[in-house]
Amino acid sequence: MAGKTPSEKRLHKELISLVKEPPPGMVVDVDQAEQNLNVWTINMQGAEGTLYDGEQFQLQFKFGTSYPFESPEVTFVGQNIPVHPHVYSNGHICLSILTDDWSPALSVQSVCLSIISMLSSCKEKKRPPDNSFYIKTCNKNPKKTKWWYHDDKV
Amino acid sequence: MMYMLDCLLNFIRRVLDTIFSRRITNSLLIFVKTNTGTVVPVGLDPKWEVRDVKEFVAPKLGMTPEELMIIFAGKELQDSELLEEYNLAEQTVLHAVKSRRRSFKRKPRVSTCIEEDEEFDDTKRAAVNFYVYCTSPCANTTVGKIRVRCFKCKSGAFTVDGDPKNWNDVLKPKRITGHCEISQCTDGEVGWSEFYFKCSEHVTKGENDEAVALHLIRNNLHDIQCLACTDVRSKVFVYPCDDGHVTCLECFCEYAVSRLRERRFVFDNNIGYTLPCPVGCPNSLINQPYHFKVLSKDHFEMYERFATEEYVLKNGGVLCPQPNCGAGILVDDDCDKVSCINGCGYVFCKKCLQGYHIGECLPKEEQLIIDITGYSVDPKLVSQSKWDDASKVKIKVSTKPCPKCRTATERDGGCMHMVCTRCSFPWCWLCQTEWTRECMGSHWFS
Repeated sequence: MAGKTPSEKRLHKELISLVKEPPPGMVVDVDQAEQNLNVWTINMQGAEGTLYDGEQFQLQFKFGTSYPFESPEVTFVGQNIPVHPHVYSNGHICLSILTDDWSPALSVQSVCLSIISMLSSCKEKKRPPDNSFYIKTCNKNPKKTKWWYHDDKV
Repeated sequence: MMYMLDCLLNFIRRVLDTIFSRRITNSLLIFVKTNTGTVVPVGLDPKWEVRDVKEFVAPKLGMTPEELMIIFAGKELQDSELLEEYNLAEQTVLHAVKSRRRSFKRKPRVSTCIEEDEEFDDTKRAAVNFYVYCTSPCANTTVGKIRVRCFKCKSGAFTVDGDPKNWNDVLKPKRITGHCEISQCTDGEVGWSEFYFKCSEHVTKGENDEAVALHLIRNNLHDIQCLACTDVRSKVFVYPCDDGHVTCLECFCEYAVSRLRERRFVFDNNIGYTLPCPVGCPNSLINQPYHFKVLSKDHFEMYERFATEEYVLKNGGVLCPQPNCGAGILVDDDCDKVSCINGCGYVFCKKCLQGYHIGECLPKEEQLIIDITGYSVDPKLVSQSKWDDASKVKIKVSTKPCPKCRTATERDGGCMHMVCTRCSFPWCWLCQTEWTRECMGSHWFS
């Protein structure tokens, strides 16, 4: 592992463990991740018995050089963005562990699990109340948004 | 006849002495200090027993070996022990004192409260290294050695009643009792030990040659993996939180540099400019800022500069507004005229941070075309003919000053809620005042 930065070492190990023990319904695009360790795409299936059963989503993780001291930039990408009160139609996710509550003790694995549980606990498919407003004004990078976290019941 | 015989005997004795006296093969220059303050330099062989040292030193001090007591690092050395077991370095100071009859047997008063701190593990003692920052001459993070002296009189002729069990015993005052051999010091009362550190990578310059303990840098005896890169490294940084989170030293540097670049250090009145545990644990500030000396020279300079600026701003000071200066200046409350005395020499107004002026500050727009030289030049032409004008105008147009510390801030998107990168003040881009619920309600995004 000589010559690798701490961030590269960490990402490499996380990739291996994500392939070995993927979170339920998730598959990481290994070839793409191995080519560029800083951008990962994860294919995700809506969990059975939830409002998203049978749907396919794509999650994109972007890692900066200071990862894991800085949170990854996580968005939904592709054709199908889940309709959820915490997911904007441009793919941005309102989830506190992705900004304020991030800690280097968290990982891609734990972010994935949080997103699965966020979707699974949804009672009604709808966009965030300020969706149309937000997507017109926000920065491309969701981390630049000062999030005012919605209640955590859904 | 008797005289002749005496002479002869003396001669023979001297010859025998020369032949059989101990050869000092691997001599070590040691200073022996007595409780009267006399220092005797002696060459000792590391292979000697402590008994040999006593025999060697006693005559020089006018004492018998039996009444002598040798103290090193808070411990009385036992006669049968070998000097080399103590890892004495060149120019170490040993304390040789006349043993005092102790008037009463004191019970060791070693603190018994349970500490969250990791215990010093005796079985692995050989592997335990203390790391210190040696200011001079090494100017580096080095391996250190622990030493003991009397808390009251600072003399090294001091023996401890018990071993320190953890870092709190070492770093906090009055934790472990002991006995000071200096006669006028602690007769009859409890003596407290004071621990300090020396650098073991240079020949000591004397008893005052101390180094700062970097108690959060430790050898990874328990093979704990770094929480950031997940490697198991030999040297680790243990954060002072309840869980004692661990990163490797390399990741500690990464963490510090990434926080430094974003000016996300914390200014604590007691500790200074520092960081908490990266996991965000409560009460986990790194309480010895010398740990940041582990960073590269450039990054440490950056740390020092930010820390100074933060201190100046916290104490109501200003930063010199001249480009490439930025010196921190503490100003009296009632004085508006500030001279950058130790910096660039610029004289400016504390209120508007423009060149000093008499009377009220000018409205912002007029400040760019102020005429300093006294020539009458059309201010409009002046404003068009400045080398840096383009960037100044750009900065002026695209930035707004933080309402609290006046740092020019650019908004490159997102909402109206700004958080100052320098002073962390939350403010509203539109109102240019503190961010409120009302800003959120009426113009959060527009």
